[in-house]
Amino acid sequence: MPRAPLPEFSSSVKLKYVKLGYQYLVNNFVTLLLIPVMAAVYLELVRMGPEEIMGLWRSLRLDLIQILCSFFVIIFAATVYLTSRPQPVYLVDYACFKPPTTCRVPFSTFMEHTRLISSDEKSVRFQMRILERSGLGEETCLPPANHYIPPRPTMEASRAETQLVIFSAIDDLVRKTGLRPKDIDILVVNCSLFSPTPSLSAMIINKYKLRSNVRSFNLSGMGCSAGLISVDLARDLLQVHRSSNALVVSTEIITPNFYAGNQRSMLLPNCLFRMGAAAILLSNRRRDARRAKYRLVHVVRTHKGADDRAYRCVYQEEDAEGHSGISLSKDLMAIAGEALKSNITTIGPLVLPMSEQLLFFLTLVGRKLINPKWKPYIPDFKLAFEHFCIHAGGRAVIDELQKNLELSAEHVEASRMTLHRFGNTSSSSLWYELNYIESKGRMRRGDRVWQIGFGSGFKCNSAVWKCLRTVKTPVDGPWSDCIDRYPVDIPEIVRL
Amino acid sequence: MELLWMIATVLFLYSSLSFLWKAFDCRRNQNCYLLDYVCYKPSDDRKLSTELCSDVIKRNKRLSMPDYKFLLKVVVNSGISEETYGPRSIIEGREESPTLDDCDDEVDDCMHSTLDELFHRTGISPGDVDVLVVNISMFAPAPSLTSRIVNRYKMREDVKTFNLSGMGCSASPIAIDLVNNVFETRKRTLAVVITSESIAPNWYCGTDKSMMLGNCLFRSGGCSFMLTNDPSLKHRAKMRLKCLVRAHSGANDDAYSCAMQNEDTDGRVGFHLSKSLPKVAVRAFTENLQALAPKVLPVGELALYVIRGLRHRLRRSKETKAYAGTAVRVNFKSGVEHFCLHTGGAAVIDAVGSALGLNKYDVEPARMTLHRWGNTSASSLWYVLGYMEAKKRLRRKDRVLMLSFGAGFKCNSCLWEVLRDLEDGGAWEDSIQAYPPQSLVNPFMDKFGWVNEA
Repeated sequence: MPRAPLPEFSSSVKLKYVKLGYQYLVNNFVTLLLIPVMAAVYLELVRMGPEEIMGLWRSLRLDLIQILCSFFVIIFAATVYLTSRPQPVYLVDYACFKPPTTCRVPFSTFMEHTRLISSDEKSVRFQMRILERSGLGEETCLPPANHYIPPRPTMEASRAETQLVIFSAIDDLVRKTGLRPKDIDILVVNCSLFSPTPSLSAMIINKYKLRSNVRSFNLSGMGCSAGLISVDLARDLLQVHRSSNALVVSTEIITPNFYAGNQRSMLLPNCLFRMGAAAILLSNRRRDARRAKYRLVHVVRTHKGADDRAYRCVYQEEDAEGHSGISLSKDLMAIAGEALKSNITTIGPLVLPMSEQLLFFLTLVGRKLINPKWKPYIPDFKLAFEHFCIHAGGRAVIDELQKNLELSAEHVEASRMTLHRFGNTSSSSLWYELNYIESKGRMRRGDRVWQIGFGSGFKCNSAVWKCLRTVKTPVDGPWSDCIDRYPVDIPEIVRL
Repeated sequence: MELLWMIATVLFLYSSLSFLWKAFDCRRNQNCYLLDYVCYKPSDDRKLSTELCSDVIKRNKRLSMPDYKFLLKVVVNSGISEETYGPRSIIEGREESPTLDDCDDEVDDCMHSTLDELFHRTGISPGDVDVLVVNISMFAPAPSLTSRIVNRYKMREDVKTFNLSGMGCSASPIAIDLVNNVFETRKRTLAVVITSESIAPNWYCGTDKSMMLGNCLFRSGGCSFMLTNDPSLKHRAKMRLKCLVRAHSGANDDAYSCAMQNEDTDGRVGFHLSKSLPKVAVRAFTENLQALAPKVLPVGELALYVIRGLRHRLRRSKETKAYAGTAVRVNFKSGVEHFCLHTGGAAVIDAVGSALGLNKYDVEPARMTLHRWGNTSASSLWYVLGYMEAKKRLRRKDRVLMLSFGAGFKCNSCLWEVLRDLEDGGAWEDSIQAYPPQSLVNPFMDKFGWVNEA
């Protein structure tokens, strides 16, 4: 007969204080150890008296050579240590694209267009059900080409959308930071589903007349988590090239990817993906440290592609009629949860305080050696981070992560509100969420932010930032005109 | 006085030790070694003869007789042999409507066959790969091609993947640049790079002449190569990277639009090559050489160049007519033994060769690669390298310069140092004996030679 499971201790109020005490003890262990040592030294000094101390000093018999040599050794060791540390990477500022109101797609417009484009009544009703439960609002935007009935996914229209979203974001960033395009040393662009030749990075180089020795890279096909892949690449480049800056542009171009068929698994992107772009300025220059908003602490990438189920869960394919679209499998949530767990096992030790790591380790040992029925300990990431930016992939993704990480509604508010106001803007969604937190006046100096992105492949990428200066409201950004209306209550189902 | 002397000694010791430490620190992880490379050799049923090209062109009912003549003329005079390869969808008649499966199959065939051989030859398992880079310019599905490879070879979860796309024919040095930068931040790292091009989804079925050239010149090809910065693998490496220069002239509007994927007036997507391409290429090339020369040439040659330049300018100011239009040449052969030129076309190879002061022997690998494999886009440099290796030209301490051009407009180059005598036949194994052939003229000249008349 199985033993009764351990009672739910965590609900007990008394235990909460025990837990707090334990955390305080473990995290400040070294300091707590030093206090008695310092006290003993002080007491000893007081007991000895001033003459004895001077006598002790003179007896050391230091002569000039020894002083100079030890001085030299200390300075040399300090220089070696400082130069071999990785260079800090600062986020000077970032800008998100604010779509024009003429591109808005309220539910009524979306459904009207869908009814006129699609001949299949069942798929129309399916899309309506998706939209009702999606968590999207009435102000999300689609590019001009998608407003035609049927949409016109030409290459020219795709380029036009690209120019609209990317150039607006970069112009905004230039205005905010005073960045001169000729000063850009590194350029990384990621756009998953539109990759013309010449690349989007070449398009930016052409428009802003960047230098001929700019190091440009154009990443494509890497999914909704590609924004953090670009940041990772920019970080590696900034480690190698001293006194440089990097412009990272993350976007997803919607125009060429309208799915014209009726297969259900492929209709979801039509309902969820919306226009968006973000331009981020990273730097390793010391003078930028003073005005930078954040410092990049960690980037952790996890690729679950070795597992066939994970690889196939977001897959571009053609349906029976030859229409190309992205098919999302039913296991998406489960796979996202597993990918997150793998990512956490790497990032946990880097960010969690010692108290959580110890508890996790002890529970693991206990499960292996004592009783495998012990509940696995989910580390409390709220101790490591003040803010969470979870990719606004869809309502279900946010729900799943909230459950897995045991986050409160306020922690996932940025993600939910971004999904509501802007829809799923793919790799740039993390930046809209960060801007929401700033616009709400919640970002203070010293706060740590965790950005989690998921994408096809299946990848789960994380970035950890530390805030360097309190961000004052009002914040200039895509939320400036509507932040006061947020947060809104998003019902489970919006009846259409 | 003694105090001052001691302080001076200490400062001197400190500065010299700091300098030594910095130099040591810089060199620790900086070397990028090429362990091995495998060029793709498609199966023989994918060979595109001139006859087959003619049939494919005829299938496009929108073309008029002058268009047909023009295209056939390009094919016949291209310097491309009967042995080059095309994708199955074109050979089987589906060039106008390739399916996603056709595109996937084309890319899979190349990636899988080259990677299987690469892992087999190096004896390294896919689980040991730390960095994976794929560059295929004109095909970027979701999930990315890097994910495709991670899935097939069951690579580790923490593998760093980068899928470069849209970067044109000069993407090979860009991928190497990316890997080299990652190497400088990590120790004992292994990287695999796959470079290829996707032709099946990019066949142009319209009537715009500037877009039809791509159809005639591009052929199937690809290469997988393995790089590492682990000094313990140095004894197995073939080459070491010495320097890399990238020049991007996209700021200039002509340069940006001279090679561009666009829709024609009928709405069909094709790759437009404008008439200003040669001029743009020259400008990008010059920019690249200006940055490359100081890194590659010995000091003596650079000094000679400066002296010659001064003399030239003095003479020009005195006798303007005689010296106007001539330029001072730099002898790149003083710093480089072998030249891997991008096989963009016979004209491109000849123009670059003459600009660098190369003779027939030096451009032979590029011309022969164009003949045997056609323009395989970004991977062409590796076929040229393969030719040199199969001909046993690559000896220890030789320096190899890879030079390529691509849409954007970019000119990228990298210099390698050969670490040991290289003798693998690779993809050239079965055909190297026939090279160089007596004549590069198309064997069907008698049948199709009429296109050159009138």
